[in-house]
Amino acid sequence: MKKVFKKIWTWLSDMTAVFCNEWKIVGHDAGALLFFLALPLLYPITYTLIYNPEVVQQVPVAVVDESRSPASRQFVRDASAAPAVDVAGYAANMNEARRWMAEGKVYGILRIPSDYASNIASGRQSTIEFYADMSLLLRYRALLSAVTDLQLKQTADITAGRLDATGLSATGMAKMPIDSHHSFLGDPEQGFASFVMPGIVILILQQSMLLGICLIGGTSRERRVRNGGIDPLMIDSAPATASIWGKTLCYVVLYIPMTMYVTTCIPEMFNLPHYGSATQYLPFLLPMLLATAFLGQALLPIMKERESAFLIIVFTSVVFLFISGLTWPRYAMNGLWTWIGNIIPATWGVEGFIRINSNGASLSENAHPFMALWILSAVYFLCAWWASVWIRVRTARS
Amino acid sequence: MSIGLKATMRREVGRLSSRRIYLFSMVLVPVLMALFFVDLLGPGLPLKIPSAIVDLDHSPMSRSISRSINSTELIDITQKLESYDAAMDATRKGEIFGFFIIPANFQSDAIAGRTPTLEYYTNMTYFVPGTLAYKGFKTVAVGTAGSMVRTTLVSAGADPATVGSLIQPLSVDIHPIGNPWTNYSYYLTPSFLAGLFALMIMLVTTFSITTEIKYGTSADWLATARGRMSVALFGKLIPQFVIWVVASMFMLSLLYGYRHFPMNGSMWSMVAATSLFVVASQAMGVLFASIVPNPRLSMTLAALTGILSFSFVGFSFPVQSMYGAIAIFSYLMPVRYYFLIYINEALNGVPLYYSRWFFVALIAFPFVCSMLIGRLKKACLQPVYVP
Repeated sequence: MKKVFKKIWTWLSDMTAVFCNEWKIVGHDAGALLFFLALPLLYPITYTLIYNPEVVQQVPVAVVDESRSPASRQFVRDASAAPAVDVAGYAANMNEARRWMAEGKVYGILRIPSDYASNIASGRQSTIEFYADMSLLLRYRALLSAVTDLQLKQTADITAGRLDATGLSATGMAKMPIDSHHSFLGDPEQGFASFVMPGIVILILQQSMLLGICLIGGTSRERRVRNGGIDPLMIDSAPATASIWGKTLCYVVLYIPMTMYVTTCIPEMFNLPHYGSATQYLPFLLPMLLATAFLGQALLPIMKERESAFLIIVFTSVVFLFISGLTWPRYAMNGLWTWIGNIIPATWGVEGFIRINSNGASLSENAHPFMALWILSAVYFLCAWWASVWIRVRTARS
Repeated sequence: MSIGLKATMRREVGRLSSRRIYLFSMVLVPVLMALFFVDLLGPGLPLKIPSAIVDLDHSPMSRSISRSINSTELIDITQKLESYDAAMDATRKGEIFGFFIIPANFQSDAIAGRTPTLEYYTNMTYFVPGTLAYKGFKTVAVGTAGSMVRTTLVSAGADPATVGSLIQPLSVDIHPIGNPWTNYSYYLTPSFLAGLFALMIMLVTTFSITTEIKYGTSADWLATARGRMSVALFGKLIPQFVIWVVASMFMLSLLYGYRHFPMNGSMWSMVAATSLFVVASQAMGVLFASIVPNPRLSMTLAALTGILSFSFVGFSFPVQSMYGAIAIFSYLMPVRYYFLIYINEALNGVPLYYSRWFFVALIAFPFVCSMLIGRLKKACLQPVYVP
């Protein structure tokens, strides 16, 4: 029994030694500090500033008015009253309007045909044409919904007038027999920063931690190769598990304030949708931090030098952003991408955090991602164990 | 070709083939990323959005509405729930992206003219499925109201022929130019792939230059080029340029040949633009290496601009809507001009004339970025490695 306690005690003291030593290593490495501190502190602010205007407004549109009637002018006035639309000018004909579009002066063309007013006056259906530039989805969407709303409003006005004229308004049909009402959940103003930032901040946590761990690991690898398999700055006498836990605790402790900052301060600063509190975010994200720290250490065998992290990790941010389902929903992915997503901690972190932060879900409603993160932690711990043994053996041999 | 240039190129080919990291980041990453985007976004739109219906009426009319919702290509009713709370729970658990509520007594109220209200909710925390679910629900809600009016008016004695123009006196024909399918992949794949190429080109360029300084081989590199920095850079970057161009031609053929992305202009101008874009991105890499001739710092600069450019270049959120102080940065990135050429040439097919300034900008990058190479030369002659 005494022996067991002694073993545990040695393990704990080894782990504490590694933990303290890792603080020293991180503190003396400007590159690691940049990744661990500056990146999670500054990137979220930069990103939110880029997207902070939230919605697309005042998109320039050309008008080709072939009707030149009071009715068509009224329509254009109503159009320019829409926040999304800015009537940039009247083009003489479609050719001129198309030229404006090619020059990038306008992103939409509203064509009112010559029979617009006469059709309305004589009770026939009239048709307006709208040509939209498709270079950006958000711009198209803003214009489309403005034009659709305009159509509904004009329809209601014209119909009411005609029903009065036919005397059918007595049947009570001047108003619609069925009303409809819609609500947007999670991001009621449909702002772009409100939609994208909760996911991005979580991805930043994972990626910055991976970059830092791989930078430190690559540097240590260079020292090992120079010194015949021994890194004089690391405590190699500690068993692999104690070494992994010591380092992991160092990274996780470092990232708890960062997690608080990106999940609480950033949404507060920029007035993004923000339900829940730190008492929900932190317990949920703790296994993600653990899994990421283990994953970073599991990747070390391929980090041959200090700068490898840049070439191997940086581009994956884009891949993980897509695979997390933020831009392209996960239900529409095929089996391969779903599985790759399943083994990335940030996929579950993004999904769960968005639900807590934007939809007001509780931890129990996030049981599935929460469990997945703990399983990933266990799996990546085993991988990190194997990796650390492999590195010591491999570098000693070469 | 001068002897120095030839020798430097031969030296560079040897360096490129001696390390696996070059194979990984110049061939494997671009090819796999192109396949990734093409395959992931292949369907174009994420149809059949998991949704729920809350039918509190259970009448023939409400069942008919449920059926018509489920028969749209956008919506897939995966759950039939009995209350608003249950539907909100399912939304918070991420099982559904939206739900449609038919109130109790819907049918009797509608027939009696008491104007019942259909309600629908969409989860906008996921922008694309939220938007599409909204569109699907709205179409059904408006269509239901329209067909009710038609029935009532006809039964009240109106002429069925004129009822149509009475209900919808104004129709709007929408013409989405170049992408009538609103295929989501056409927005994302070409732009994000270009951004990824720019990122990898800048990183590899700075890495290949500053790693010479790190391992103290930079003096040898300059000596091979007979002491001329410009020859040394050409000798190093021409072999890399060839690899990048081959990789980007693979990307172009995958997109426009194999997957038939819209190509309404000339393929040759896209090929020319892509080659100029590769050179401009390499030039950015040279600039970073000249500003800080140190591997970690110059690669930090490259990674920072490369990753941020996905956002401020305006692939998703328009530059015109950003704050001016941020929008200005988008014009400092080659990928912005490449993106504008892609829109003009491939998507909209407007004459090349309208893209002339974008081409000029791409051509200007190498000249502007090479202004600091004197500084790089100094660092190469006295290599100091700061970790």
